[in-house]
Amino acid sequence: MTTTVIETSVDSSRALHSVARKTKIVGSALVGPALILVVAINVLPAFYGFYLSLRQVFFFADEGYVGLQNYVELFRDPFAWQAVGRSLVFTFGSLAIAVPLALVSAMGIRRLGNWGSILLTVLLVPWAMSPIVVALLWKWILVPSPGGLVGAIFAAFGVPPQDLLTDPLLAMPTLILIGVWRNFAFAAIILTGGLGQIPRDLYKAAAVDGLGAWEAFRKITLPLLAPSLLIVISMLTISYFNEVQTIIGLTGGGPIRQTTTLGYLLYHTGFVELDQGRGNAIAIVMFMINMLLIALYIKILGKQPGAAA
Amino acid sequence: MKTGTRIWLVLGCLLAALVALGPIVWAFSTSLKPTNRIFQVPPELIPSVSTLEHYARLISEGVHWAFFNSGLYAVMAVAVALTLGTLAGYALARYPIPGKQLVLVLFVGAMAVPGFAVLLPTQLLFVDMGLYNTYVALPLLYAGHILPFAVWVTRSHFSTIPRELEQAAQIDGYSRLEAVWKVVLPGAKPALLAAATFGFLHSWNDYVTATTMVDTPSLRTLPVALIFFQGFHGRDWGALMAGVIIATIPPVVMFLLFRKYLIGGFADGSVKG
Repeated sequence: MTTTVIETSVDSSRALHSVARKTKIVGSALVGPALILVVAINVLPAFYGFYLSLRQVFFFADEGYVGLQNYVELFRDPFAWQAVGRSLVFTFGSLAIAVPLALVSAMGIRRLGNWGSILLTVLLVPWAMSPIVVALLWKWILVPSPGGLVGAIFAAFGVPPQDLLTDPLLAMPTLILIGVWRNFAFAAIILTGGLGQIPRDLYKAAAVDGLGAWEAFRKITLPLLAPSLLIVISMLTISYFNEVQTIIGLTGGGPIRQTTTLGYLLYHTGFVELDQGRGNAIAIVMFMINMLLIALYIKILGKQPGAAA
Repeated sequence: MKTGTRIWLVLGCLLAALVALGPIVWAFSTSLKPTNRIFQVPPELIPSVSTLEHYARLISEGVHWAFFNSGLYAVMAVAVALTLGTLAGYALARYPIPGKQLVLVLFVGAMAVPGFAVLLPTQLLFVDMGLYNTYVALPLLYAGHILPFAVWVTRSHFSTIPRELEQAAQIDGYSRLEAVWKVVLPGAKPALLAAATFGFLHSWNDYVTATTMVDTPSLRTLPVALIFFQGFHGRDWGALMAGVIIATIPPVVMFLLFRKYLIGGFADGSVKG
């Protein structure tokens, strides 16, 4: 009697075990193809890039191992450091305009209700466009002639036409503004969502306590919106740091390298000059900076209730 | 709300809408003007004489083939990414998988890594593997770029659907596959549409991958063809703005049709801007 009981329990546990193993195999088989493609396209090239960055590669011809020479030359090149500086100016300049603008828009959108969601849609149209097409479009808008759109606006104020994109001082700010035009509304989506999470009662209570609008913003909105703001800032940082297409289309890194960011330097070295060993060294440096930013980003995202992996 | 605040709010919105859409309206207006009126002073917003010559010129230069390529690549990439992404998203929500946490971090990380950072080694890898300058190069790369997002949104969606729904269907005599196909998948429509829209926009709008991964004119995408057109014909603004308009219509229409799902997908997920 006892033996049978033990036998069945062993049987069923064995059956359970094999079921568990089977589901594990099925699960892995379902995830496998996606995992392979993602690793092949997004991860593998990074390792290959590191390998190539230790070699002299020029015009698709591998001329052998050179150790860290590409990196040493890169770190000794004043133009590379200038490009790092230009990247910082572009990234933080864009952030400084995009984040407050997105915040103000998100607050307006919340207040407007249905009209607000229409406004959000309108503001997102430039974001749905191709960056290089945006570059072509703005090149025409900025054409230095009274027949151009900006030229006509300048003329209305008595200012002669300016070639903003070839002016060493104005090219970078112009690029930043166009970048912000293209994608600040994306940040407004997330901030609008974040504002929606703040209980309205808090504002009522604040009004009862006699808090002004500014104080309510500072003491309720900002602290409670902090998680969304952090997400937005980290996403935009990655996006602006890697921006290259509008730079290719609008200034080609000029005038006199004023808009040559690290991303543009990588494009120019690797794809135009075809100095691929050195280009890969830049790519690895950029990849490392990105990994750092992404690690921060995942950490921030991991703290989000409901959004954690 | 006080009337004063309200007026400022409305004015601010109008200004924002003008800044967002004005440039696009201006491009459309330019694309309809005869060449000799394009630089007219003062500029006309609504052309007094309009023409479709610039659009015809793009066609005579074969730019419509590039339009076709862009569409084909985007559709192929979305099809691959959605199929593989849904399978993986479902499995990650329902099955025990060895190293699941690591797999998830990998997908989230890959979602955030911009393709551009690894574009140069990818080009050299594709040259070595004979994939450079082929019809599959771009769909494959775009599929890889959008797949992490597809996995992310489908997984978060499947996690919200109660397991009991499938179990009930299975009790009713459906197989697990049928239960998923008939019960779970239709409910996942918002997640699938968000991923499809995002994927289409990413693929259609790309320039830098397309210009570095294919070389033959017959394989070119629309953005690449427009930049080449600019290189050959200098500043033929009428034709270039016609190109801007045809390149902008598909993604903007997609965005407008499915914005609800896309915005929803971004609001609870995360993706690069």
